Amino acid sequence: MKGFDLMAILLSPEFSGMIAHGMEMTLIIFAASWLLAMSLGISLLAIRMLPGRIADALVAAYVSYHRNVPTLVQLMLWYFGISSLLPDTLQLWLADRNGEAVFAVISLGLCQAAYFSEDLRSGLRAVPKGQWEAARALGHSFTGAMSYILLPQAVRNAMPALVNHTVSLFKNSSLAMAIGVAELTHAVKEVESQSFRAFETYFIATVLYLVCSLLLMWIGYHLERRSRMAGAL
Amino acid sequence: MALLQNMIGIVEDNWLLLLIGQYPNGPVGGIAATMILSVLGIGLAFPLSVLMALARISPWAALRWPVTAIVYLVRGVPLLLIILWVYFLLPLLIGAIVPGFVTMVVTLVIYEGAFLSEVVRAGITALPKGQMDAARALGHSHLGAMRYVILPQALFNMIPSIISQFVSTIKETTLGYIINVPELTFAAGQVNNRLLTKPFEVYFILAIAYFVVCWTLTSLANLLERRIAARRARIADSGAEAGGIAAASAGVSRA
Amino acid sequence: MTMLQQTSSRDGASMIQFVGVNKSYGSFQALTDINAEVRKGEVVVVCGPSGSGKSTLIRTVNRLEEIQSGSLLFEGQDVHAKMGSSALNHLRSRIGFVFQSFNLFPHLSVLDNVILSPVKVNGVKRGEARDMALRLLDRVGLSNKAQDYPAQLSGGQQQRVAIARALAMKPPAMLFDEPTSALDPEMVGEVLAVMRSLASDGMTMMCVTHEMNFARDVADRVWFMDAGRVLESAAPDEFFRAPKHPRAQRFLSDLRAR
Repeated sequence: MKGFDLMAILLSPEFSGMIAHGMEMTLIIFAASWLLAMSLGISLLAIRMLPGRIADALVAAYVSYHRNVPTLVQLMLWYFGISSLLPDTLQLWLADRNGEAVFAVISLGLCQAAYFSEDLRSGLRAVPKGQWEAARALGHSFTGAMSYILLPQAVRNAMPALVNHTVSLFKNSSLAMAIGVAELTHAVKEVESQSFRAFETYFIATVLYLVCSLLLMWIGYHLERRSRMAGAL
Repeated sequence: MALLQNMIGIVEDNWLLLLIGQYPNGPVGGIAATMILSVLGIGLAFPLSVLMALARISPWAALRWPVTAIVYLVRGVPLLLIILWVYFLLPLLIGAIVPGFVTMVVTLVIYEGAFLSEVVRAGITALPKGQMDAARALGHSHLGAMRYVILPQALFNMIPSIISQFVSTIKETTLGYIINVPELTFAAGQVNNRLLTKPFEVYFILAIAYFVVCWTLTSLANLLERRIAARRARIADSGAEAGGIAAASAGVSRA
Repeated sequence: MTMLQQTSSRDGASMIQFVGVNKSYGSFQALTDINAEVRKGEVVVVCGPSGSGKSTLIRTVNRLEEIQSGSLLFEGQDVHAKMGSSALNHLRSRIGFVFQSFNLFPHLSVLDNVILSPVKVNGVKRGEARDMALRLLDRVGLSNKAQDYPAQLSGGQQQRVAIARALAMKPPAMLFDEPTSALDPEMVGEVLAVMRSLASDGMTMMCVTHEMNFARDVADRVWFMDAGRVLESAAPDEFFRAPKHPRAQRFLSDLRAR
């Protein structure tokens, strides 16, 4: 085994370029799927509050499916399975435009939306019933009570879980490699196979992922602290 | 519907491959391999996780910091990258070729060990502080108290969470696909490569298979959680927390 | 200086009227044939053993609890009639309610707790609401806590803020559901003092409470409830000196024996 030589990778424009592009792709996939997941997660919660049992059952089924089927399988079902059902013109159009990344974002976003909606739902359940009664007793409408009193507290309650699942989403971006997306892990495997320097390459990838994860956790921790009701538990 | 007929046809033709892989003409694969990997993974990870949890709450910083660092490291990096590391390092460390199956087990043990240690830690700290106080007041050492009073209660309360982690482990085995471990996802890939014209049906079957297994286990975990929560509520009400200590202490003659 | 647009007459029109009200939870009859009235400017104290239905009774007034039969009129309007949600919200905004567990909004400062509902429900302009809120907080003795959060206040302080929050809606009547039962004994006095001053300003009040001294000093009428019925309704002097109903007699003697 050759001696540990980080610079062989870092200084090589070809290799560091591949890694940089991989990192860029990881961040793009993460950001896009996070936005999809959060907005869909909130919508799912709103749908759940509609009167009648059908809405609740549908969302419950959605959540159950996405939490019990492995993420990799969901990715493959979208990319290999559902894409084959699309009309040919659409398939060709997507293939030209980084279709793999699109399916990755859709699949990861839809999956994580299930987790986010459950986190928000738990956060909402943790708000004491008296808050709801006080809001209605003062004359607030359902929407008013939700917007000004219940949801702000629900989000604060759900913060730790939301942060955890955000970090999970970030790490799940690596699964996109299985369908050919050139994100960081994919880039790292490529560089390793060309440079034969597995240790250094994996080390760089580990540092990059770790720094990003810790950064996300740190941001989450600070958001939690700032939003925590002063003096509350 | 044609879709359903196709799917039933595929299952009829390939059920053996999906169930046990190419055994006996090859290694065990399919669902059997998935379950073996999961059970081994979480089974071996469990004792490791208990040790790590104890280390993380121990009063000695020399024990706390390294273990905490390891847990943060494993939690901050994608499972896929850990597989790549193990795939690369393990043969070097052992000096022999390591089959993909073993690589996968080792990865799962490391990954689940870290995550499970968080679950165990949470279970221990969720017990009322009075339990430890009472045990020490009776003369137990820290480790003795852990062994006879804290851990038995904590582990029982944590059974639903442990089942949850088991479900996670089953889902993690799918990454064996990347290093050609012949588990269920890999088997499905083989079926798809043979058929080529029905990818949706094949992968939908795959999704349903995992759904059935994981959903059943998750429902079991939820059921147990409700039972255990009810039991804890009754214990707390009757003030019989001390009963746990009395029973545990009865079986101990040394501190 | 009074914040309330009330005449000090104690003999005014009917404010809250129960007519043959019945309420049940499944097979359990919580309220049976309630016929009673709170007039404008009156202070009514509802007392009785636990489980008698006092809290349920007061919660039907602003429809936090539904009734199965009978009618409940507030300012002549049927509270339990079929109505749209905005009509019910408007009605509730005119009935002040103080909870046993205060229920302040923990994510808002004390001042914002008081300002929120006048602004969002009554459409009061924020600046005006702020001035009113500060005056109300001053009235309950907590203007120095305006920027604090509920978790930083004691129970007695939180309940006083809750009273200010309810008053900010300028309701013609205030309902109190065991306002001091969750407080440590040394804080009960400060809350009762606020309630006394409200009463002397002529506010129409209905209070469920165990504080018999308050009832004796401040109430115009005492309603005694047991097992879902109003068994006796009398002026406090009369009630405490010589209760007519045997169960009321037993209740008072149990209280005195403590």
